[in-house]
Amino acid sequence: MTAKRYQVTRKEALDLYFKMVLTRKTEARHEELFQKQVLPIYTHLSLGQEAVGCGAAAFLRPDDYLIGTHRGVPEVVGKGMSVTEMLLEYGGRRNSPSGGRAGLHLHSAELHILPLAGGLGTDFSLAVGAGLTIRNKGWDRVVVDAFGEGAAEQVDFMPALNMAVLWNVPVIFACCTNQFVEYHPYRETTASRDLAPRAEACGMRARIVGDGNDIFAVGAAMKEAVALCRGGRGPCFIEFKTYRLAPHHTGDQCGYRSREEVDRAWKNDPLPRARRELERRGWAGGKHFQAVEARCDRIIEEAVRVLLASPLPEAGTVTDHVYAG
Amino acid sequence: MREMTFAEAVVEAYRQEMRRDEDVVVMGIDVKASLWGTTKGLHDEFGPRRIINTPVCESSFTMVGIGAALTGLRPVIQISFADFMYLAMDPLVNTAAPWHYVSGGRYKVPLVVEAYSGARGHAMFSHSQSPQASFLNTPGLKMVIPATPADAKGLMAAAIRDDGPVIYFSHRRLLAQKGPVPEGEHLLPLGRAEIRREGRDLTMVAYGAVVHQCLEAAEALAGLGLSAEVIDLRTLVPWDEAAVVKSVAKTSRLLIVEDGRKRGGVGSEVAAVVAEKHIDLLDGPIVRVAALDTPVPFASTLEAAHLPGTEAIIRAARGL
Repeated sequence: MTAKRYQVTRKEALDLYFKMVLTRKTEARHEELFQKQVLPIYTHLSLGQEAVGCGAAAFLRPDDYLIGTHRGVPEVVGKGMSVTEMLLEYGGRRNSPSGGRAGLHLHSAELHILPLAGGLGTDFSLAVGAGLTIRNKGWDRVVVDAFGEGAAEQVDFMPALNMAVLWNVPVIFACCTNQFVEYHPYRETTASRDLAPRAEACGMRARIVGDGNDIFAVGAAMKEAVALCRGGRGPCFIEFKTYRLAPHHTGDQCGYRSREEVDRAWKNDPLPRARRELERRGWAGGKHFQAVEARCDRIIEEAVRVLLASPLPEAGTVTDHVYAG
Repeated sequence: MREMTFAEAVVEAYRQEMRRDEDVVVMGIDVKASLWGTTKGLHDEFGPRRIINTPVCESSFTMVGIGAALTGLRPVIQISFADFMYLAMDPLVNTAAPWHYVSGGRYKVPLVVEAYSGARGHAMFSHSQSPQASFLNTPGLKMVIPATPADAKGLMAAAIRDDGPVIYFSHRRLLAQKGPVPEGEHLLPLGRAEIRREGRDLTMVAYGAVVHQCLEAAEALAGLGLSAEVIDLRTLVPWDEAAVVKSVAKTSRLLIVEDGRKRGGVGSEVAAVVAEKHIDLLDGPIVRVAALDTPVPFASTLEAAHLPGTEAIIRAARGL
């Protein structure tokens, strides 16, 4: 049973719900703009795992660090990145924060969203490094490193967990077990059902949230982990079980799973579940949900308007910023 | 000026920078015990939070250094054998090097990777290599390789203060070599070559330990009536094109010497740039003396045959 102080409050639940809706609508718009060839880069939708993704980031302070996944819209939305900034990056625009250099590699120095390279599983030790800075500076910040179970097979996984424990750095390893690694079910290439025992084997506090589509379970686990880390008792590992409703990317025909299986999984879609639970608690109703939809639509329309009005970078800037000094 | 070894000069640079800036930390395998003597005594002064012993995981602790650099520390990562930099290739090439560029200048990676390279006798194929050329083709990385204790101090201090990733090579054979080292703060700007010996008839461009072989060769050549100018590049990225061109304009002949392998080597790049932009300055072909394109062998006869020797430098210079 979750201690009372870690239970998700009404305000937090409504914020999380808003971020999940914004994520889903933003991704859908991205897909549409890609199909219409307005945006040049395809999607890795987070469909079905928004509760885990948004939840991993939504309980952080602005000065805390986040490393998102490659299916990372929910994480960066959770941390507060603006949709306009995202679409400008996806469009490679001159006025995007990176000046047209980052594309899908969303990051933000201002929001402390750390950069992520294209290789899966290149985030673990990066997170430990941020944790080391926090330790040496004596800050009370934390780091959330969000990743999927497929990335956990990468060579850096165990060394990073080991160093995190050795140096007692405030890093929360948030594993989103969405059942699929690119084009196959994860059990085809992962021998164990759960990843959390690997962290336990390193001496790290680890737990499994079996229902990663329940925003209250996800939120309570994250709140507890953040509090422990901030109090100097980190690192922690949380494995969230969910289901990737999305294909690996635009155009993936998903031949590795049946239609029926996906249809069944849709019944557990975290968005209607969140609505039902918010209604059951009497925390929100139809009017609120409609207002959230409308607010998200307005945000996205404004972002698209800015995108379409924004030029590509001047070719002459191609050599800017190669070296810092 | 007082004399000290190359390794002692590196220690002095670390101490100077660590006292000046508490964000400077040194990490790597056995930096506490100090395999090469370059962190000797620092653990006693700065403790385990700044002299950080890591597990044996070059790839991972390099990425730790990058994560720390992105968030406010100025880490130096030690790779005890430069051969193992290939384990750290992904963090360096795909994260440390590009992110200042990819973030439009918003993220900085003030990281130094100190690696020990070069053959020193019987160390075998994967503890003997000079892998500098492998890092020439990655924009975002700077690369330095001092040849003297004074430069070891000055270049390390400058590398630590640089806001981007710098690979710093120490040749394993130079660590015990003594030389004069300035006291107090000593900084050498990156990107500047040094003329080690002035000459009129040919230009030798070298870096690291082979600079000393070039100087020996130049002395021998002087006895034969040939006056060789020896340029120590010191920084390989960005290398001092102006200094090389100025010298070649005077001598009209260019010999490039390195103990890295010849194919696709640092010398290939220097030769290509000089040929492409300044061929009118040359009176003959550019010649490269480098290690053979083989793995580094074990037996002393084979290792000597693999490496560029002073005799080979003299021969090549006379043939120009």
